[in-house]
Amino acid sequence: MVIKHKNIFKTESAWSNTDEKMLCLDTGSWRTVRPVLDKDKCNYCGLCALFCPPQCMKDMGDHYEANLDYCKGCGICANECPRKAITMVPEGEFADG
Amino acid sequence: MVETTKKRNKIFNYFVQDEQFAGGVAWCAGCPMELIARLTPKVLGKNMIFVGTPGCAAPVLHGQNVGAWHRMAYMASVMTGVPSKATGLSRYYNRIGKDATVVCFTGDGCATDVGFQPLSGAAERQEKFIYLAYDNEGYMNTGNQRSSATPIGAATTTTPVGKIGKGKSNAQKNMPMIMLMHKPRYMATATVSHLEDFIKKLQKAKEKSKEGFAYLHLFSPCPVGWRIDSSKVIEVCREAVRTNYFPLWEAENGKPRITVNVANPKPISEFTKLMRKYSHLKEDGLAELQKQVDERYALLKTLADAGI
Amino acid sequence: MVSAQKGQVRVITGNATGAYGAMLCRPDVIAAYPITPQSEIAEQLAQFKADGVINSEFVEVEGENSAMNVVLAASIAGGRVFTATSSYGLVFMYDALQETSGFRAPVVMVNANRETPGIHAVSSGQQDMISARDAGWVQIITENDQEILDQIIMAYMLAEDNDILLPVMVNYDGFYLSYLAEAVEIYQIEDVDKFLAPLKKQSPRQKLEPGVAQGCGTHGMEMGYVEARYKHTQAMERVKNKVDEIDKKFGDYFGRYYGGQIEEYRTDDADIIIIASGSATGTARTVIDTKREQGIKVGLIKLRLFRPFPAERLIQALKGKKAIGVIDRSICFGWKYGPICMELKVLTQELGSVPILSYIDGLANLDITIPHIGRVVDEVNEAAKGKPYQDVTWIPMEE
Repeated sequence: MVIKHKNIFKTESAWSNTDEKMLCLDTGSWRTVRPVLDKDKCNYCGLCALFCPPQCMKDMGDHYEANLDYCKGCGICANECPRKAITMVPEGEFADG
Repeated sequence: MVETTKKRNKIFNYFVQDEQFAGGVAWCAGCPMELIARLTPKVLGKNMIFVGTPGCAAPVLHGQNVGAWHRMAYMASVMTGVPSKATGLSRYYNRIGKDATVVCFTGDGCATDVGFQPLSGAAERQEKFIYLAYDNEGYMNTGNQRSSATPIGAATTTTPVGKIGKGKSNAQKNMPMIMLMHKPRYMATATVSHLEDFIKKLQKAKEKSKEGFAYLHLFSPCPVGWRIDSSKVIEVCREAVRTNYFPLWEAENGKPRITVNVANPKPISEFTKLMRKYSHLKEDGLAELQKQVDERYALLKTLADAGI
Repeated sequence: MVSAQKGQVRVITGNATGAYGAMLCRPDVIAAYPITPQSEIAEQLAQFKADGVINSEFVEVEGENSAMNVVLAASIAGGRVFTATSSYGLVFMYDALQETSGFRAPVVMVNANRETPGIHAVSSGQQDMISARDAGWVQIITENDQEILDQIIMAYMLAEDNDILLPVMVNYDGFYLSYLAEAVEIYQIEDVDKFLAPLKKQSPRQKLEPGVAQGCGTHGMEMGYVEARYKHTQAMERVKNKVDEIDKKFGDYFGRYYGGQIEEYRTDDADIIIIASGSATGTARTVIDTKREQGIKVGLIKLRLFRPFPAERLIQALKGKKAIGVIDRSICFGWKYGPICMELKVLTQELGSVPILSYIDGLANLDITIPHIGRVVDEVNEAAKGKPYQDVTWIPMEE
């Protein structure tokens, strides 16, 4: 038998190694709506960031902004905001959507 | 311009470690288990090592060939072996003096059904690790089949509604109560709508797991399977607590204490209306579900008040 | 070459020997669940722990599946481990057996052969070992109590070799050896330490550590899966020569040689060969000697290594022989021959068209007696002369 396969694992059995390869999915492309913040209404309570399942809210110092690379558009931030400062707007309304 | 607090929410102070997961992972939009999975290592800190198993968590917790979706050490297991592997790890790390917080991360399918025997065994032996069960009341990863944690009347793919079928015909196992009967060093129920309560319980579980078994039962509704609007998931968790569908309590050495008191519980319809899982229930079905909720809460309250 | 000091001779059962063997190798974590005929091992180990003879972590698990999972995880974390089971216990841990070999964990387990599965039976037979032969473990069969002790020590030497890293199952006949007390030389523990010392000189094996971003049991996707499987089978191949090497080292140091993969007894000038395994081999030796006195040039091969199958050594030992009889203490579902006989028959290209006669005997605690083996020798002898023969015989069914 002539083996052409180049080993994927350095180990004898199946081990993952994050330092060798960290995976990441383009979950931002899942979205059909994106969160839009009305900064005037925001009081930096942080609930949107805390409740965000992918934890993708960036701390901008006095408000939070979703990292659109990973925001899945679930709408929890908008639903949980005590000030109703976030609206979920359809992707189609954005040039980069 | 509203006056901003300018001070960051104090809950962030509980986080002792950076985000361990990749930014984008394949969990459904709005999944509360994603929030649980991401927050847990932030609170438990480094040297958290987990045993994962097939279920909703596995596709992200376990790697794909060499690649991994996060920065933690882990051992993958089939569902029958999770707490036993955790036993082997925690016994050995303790023996060689290696600092480790061993966490089992499983769904209700594993915890209450196929992996129950070893869980019960490990709890009885007071093995020193944390067993975290995210309860989405069914086998969600394989498409919403019923588990013994599925409540009475719920529609699932193996207890569907049809001409004759009316959803699951028997009540769910009261899993937190069953684990209470093992008198673990520490156990608690928690959910992500009540963040500080959840985080404190994680911390306590870590501390108490140095002395004995720690069990966390987390309410984790599935937006896809229960047909909840993804934006309402946290609200569903909150309503579960407010209707006593999922009371929040903890117990050290088998003495329960309710941690979030609900003075005037809302009727169960406030909860069921947020999802289509129970939409087929008529008055009698809803009444049966309400009865289950009331009975379970009464039992919990009796034990908590008895202080034994 | 340095040799070990004289050990202490004790008259103990096969089960107790299993416990002594484990004790001498200083495991970090032991987990065992009682099952007839092995329960005494768990009891003896618990007693050792209670008396401070061992300081291993001893986990009183609630089932065999848990036992294997506990030791698997502790092994992957870097520890030396031990467990013991039999029959339905072995089958109950079947999913964990798969993970153990797939994760390449150097677990050592003692299995007291007992009938399994299908019919409830609490009696001796090799069916349990046979039913797990595709679990990816190394399987070795022992003949007497001393060999149990010696093989456990050799098992760690084999399993924890970085070239191998496979779990090893040490088998012995339940009831025949488990409850049989024989004189066993228990070596000094310092000598066992010295024998196993080369393992510590290796570079540390891959292990699971908190804080290190590596995960054991990642999903094997496509070629990742194929590669891991391939590496596993290659390690299995390497086991064969390694077993012979370790046997020699063991014999040089402790004074007892077992022949490695197989033991050949009076085979050099033999015309016909009987192949047996386990405790029945002792009986077979007696018959060989008697038949030799009667002028039949018969030899005996004791099969020690079953997985991987010692094809090369068998071909070498069987070359030129005129007929072979294989005594199996188990059955093979789907083939009429006994399992060991069936596997031997794969080698027809190398062996030529030599008659291979299958005998199934010794199930359910029914003895493989001297007359039984005598009959086997006679029939194989007739086959060697070109006479017609039965290719498979269930000896008890013909009585």
